[in-house]
Amino acid sequence: MLLFIAKRLLWMVPSLVVVSFLAFVLIQLPPGDYVTSYIATLAASNEVVDQNTAADLRARYGLDQPMIVQYFKWITGIVLRGDFGISFEWQQPVGDLIWERMALTLVLTFSTLLATWGIALPIGIFSAVKKYSIGDYIVTFLSFLGLAVPSFLLALVLMYVAAVEYGQEVGGLFSEQYLTAPWSIAKMIDLAKHLWIPVIILAVSGTASLIRVMRANMLDELHKPYVTTARAKGLSEFHLLLKYPVRLALNPFISTISWLLPNLVSGSIIVAIVLSLQTAGPLLLQSLMSQDMYLAGAFVLLICTLTLVGSLISDILLALVDPRIRLE
Amino acid sequence: MRNSKNGSGLVDGVRRRDVLKGLAGAATLSAIPQGAMAQAAKEAPALAKMTADGKLPALAERIPANPMVVPVEKVGRYGGSLRRGLRGSSDHNGILRLVGNQGLVRWNLAFTEVLPNVADKWEVSADSSEFTFYLRKGMKWSDGKPFTADDVVFSIEDCAKNPDLFKSAPSTLVINGKACTATKIDETTVKIAFAGPFALFLEQLATPLGQYPTLYAKHYCSQFHPKYNTSVADLVKAANLSDWAALFRNKCGDIEIPARWGNVDKPTLDPWVVKEAYTGGTTRVVMERNPYFWQVDTAGNQLPYIDRLTFSISQDVESLMLDAISGRLDIQERHIDTLQNKPTLSQNMQKGGYRLIELVNSSAQQVQIYLNMTHKDPKMREMFANKEFRKALSLGLDRKEIIDLVYLGQSQPYQTGPRPGHPWHNKTLAEQFTGFDAAQANAILDKLGYAKKDSGGIRLRPDGQKVFFAIDVIPTLYPDQVDALELVKRHWADIGVDIKVNTIERALYYTRGDSNDHDAAVWPGPGGLDPMLDPRDYFAHHPQGSRYAIPWTLWYVSGGKDGQEPPESQKQRMKLYDQARATADLQKRGELMKQLFDLTAEAFETIGLCLAVNAFGIAKNNLQNVPAKYPNAWSWPNPGPALPQQFFFTT
Repeated sequence: MLLFIAKRLLWMVPSLVVVSFLAFVLIQLPPGDYVTSYIATLAASNEVVDQNTAADLRARYGLDQPMIVQYFKWITGIVLRGDFGISFEWQQPVGDLIWERMALTLVLTFSTLLATWGIALPIGIFSAVKKYSIGDYIVTFLSFLGLAVPSFLLALVLMYVAAVEYGQEVGGLFSEQYLTAPWSIAKMIDLAKHLWIPVIILAVSGTASLIRVMRANMLDELHKPYVTTARAKGLSEFHLLLKYPVRLALNPFISTISWLLPNLVSGSIIVAIVLSLQTAGPLLLQSLMSQDMYLAGAFVLLICTLTLVGSLISDILLALVDPRIRLE
Repeated sequence: MRNSKNGSGLVDGVRRRDVLKGLAGAATLSAIPQGAMAQAAKEAPALAKMTADGKLPALAERIPANPMVVPVEKVGRYGGSLRRGLRGSSDHNGILRLVGNQGLVRWNLAFTEVLPNVADKWEVSADSSEFTFYLRKGMKWSDGKPFTADDVVFSIEDCAKNPDLFKSAPSTLVINGKACTATKIDETTVKIAFAGPFALFLEQLATPLGQYPTLYAKHYCSQFHPKYNTSVADLVKAANLSDWAALFRNKCGDIEIPARWGNVDKPTLDPWVVKEAYTGGTTRVVMERNPYFWQVDTAGNQLPYIDRLTFSISQDVESLMLDAISGRLDIQERHIDTLQNKPTLSQNMQKGGYRLIELVNSSAQQVQIYLNMTHKDPKMREMFANKEFRKALSLGLDRKEIIDLVYLGQSQPYQTGPRPGHPWHNKTLAEQFTGFDAAQANAILDKLGYAKKDSGGIRLRPDGQKVFFAIDVIPTLYPDQVDALELVKRHWADIGVDIKVNTIERALYYTRGDSNDHDAAVWPGPGGLDPMLDPRDYFAHHPQGSRYAIPWTLWYVSGGKDGQEPPESQKQRMKLYDQARATADLQKRGELMKQLFDLTAEAFETIGLCLAVNAFGIAKNNLQNVPAKYPNAWSWPNPGPALPQQFFFTT
């Protein structure tokens, strides 16, 4: 097991090198560069950039150099000094910008995960066990409804109703007085008060597919001989369900953990934008749109690293949960 | 002393009364001895309390002996918090427009005259190449340190002209390829001298890009400058940045970058100073009153009236609209002023408790069509460069239909040129070939050798190719232009000319222009109220904006080294503009510009559809002293020159 983990960790190094290069190339692919999009953004409000300044900017950021030179400058900074460069747009070190938002993103993603699993797993089990019952139809209908409504629309509608009908502030994760306050119990409570709205919006769309996955897997397992045997041996129905079929049906949930970690950064971008959440997603999108290379590159690199770590975690968990999987 | 005027004169929409009132206010005030003004000044209750507690010096020590007196419509009351919205990131100019307009001089409300601001008065040499500015005695930065001529000299000589910081000096400080020199005469007098006449300098100073002389506080920013701090390398390392220029920018900012609002310690001359900074991770920006602000109202109360500003940052424009209609923004025009939002905003006026304010468009043209007269393909170039061809296209447009359908009837057919009512308005330039006459258009095109048509009714060029070109447009920026172009496509199809409405992303739009790869492009045509500041449609002036001939502009700005040599008419206009820019006498400048406009009308390079439509904004009903109408421009960075420091809340 340890040898397996070590090998996998070693493999990550070349993967990351390739991925970082590809990411850098991809970010550069759209026409223009940071300066073009900076000029274009200002021009959108009929604002003008000094011509001398525009030329200066290109030289200052090294945008007039070949891409490969820019890449090496960037990657050596990261490898040798842990320096992710400066965000063009903000004139701030990229590292500061990213970590600032990661903590809140973590809270949001894990709360959403808990809510999604908390809703989907029991309902999935229920609708498999009570297949084609009235209850099965009702939860299936509701979950499909949840899947069908785009989450950004749900967010907009919720915001509209809250703002126009009740005059309430919905966006953001904190009330005004806690925005810049240091962490305290009161601030955590305030966060919890705001967190449930995005969590519900995000969970609604996620549960439907999970319910179906859980239901299908359970149906596969429920009629296998070992279930009949266990039942014949006199195991209680509840105990039996949880002990064997549920454990095996969880397999797809665990395999998808590797997708879950990158979701920390890139998931729920649209909802975060609509609700003005200070999570990582909007910053990533903005950096891509303005071609703020170092910031975008750092995000993409982070997502890739998280994917690799995530798939390692899910492999290890699978080995622990599913007795049929062996590492050797 | 001679104040220079830019001569834009009175413009349609901005009422003459406002201008007169402004002048009258200034006249009565000059009767009050200025020293007495500082003595009698009053301040906000919170500041008075701090003064009483000994935390702040007395008001008379905080404001200059001759504070700037703002002629207010109504004397206001102190207090309140003004809410405004920013969009996502890179919206730093949303702050600049409201707060950061404290240059040496400022615009009047009508956008016609330059008035004293940081500089109390000034003198211009006879040849308009030397400007002596008299600053206010006893004026302070927001941290209480004195503001003197040294700061202006530092900002220009050590910062704006420093090649590490600015590879080439900002254009507003450069004439004939040489940057100006700033010299200290005494504590409050500074002389700025140019290599040649630069009569437009005062107007340039009143625009946002002209703020360099007052941007950097020497006592603070010099600590990040190697000339004044030999151990600046340590600071660079500690901040994890690459060089001193990056550190300087991070701490002291520049006119148009977010970092200008990202440092709470930076001293400024603004009415409000940053308390919660504008940085990459933030969701709002908060600013609080500057206790050392150097302006007072007519009753001698220190400005600003409003205690603090809150800018909430919405990633999404729709949520800004929601904030607006639910009454959570006190004044806003930025991002929500599109035509399609107007019905929604009008409907919700009562619920949101706001009123609409009208913004006079400073542009001339809503949809300017630029055919690329320097196209890389010689056949296309020949076609576009033919004035008769452009005339036929213009005559083939049913402008009335476009105005009625796309602009709800709120405009009139127009080519380009200073807006109606402007003293330089040129009727020929504005109105030639705007009548809809398909028969004449067809006759011209037949005569030009495009008489043969294909089976689809599209004309063929003598070489057998279709008369076809693509027009670049950015749908996310100007959806109305896409609608207008769809109608243009139909009108031109009727006279046998085929176009493709080429909707592209904005960075690609610029890249195609920069590399001269476009057939044609559209953009709102500027220069309606500010023809001297943005004449890009009157001759090839702007390397990114004069899209009918970008290589010619490169020739012009590089002094003949780059780009392509333009035709004679263009060269004459370039010369006329250079002369006009050096002419302080408004009368003479106007004559030069009129010659220029005549040449522009004769050359007929751009095809316009209709006069740029006025925009609008919202202001809460309890927010007072907001003019009902003001210009909407970048050179007049609304609402800044309407002086938000004298806005106040009634309740």
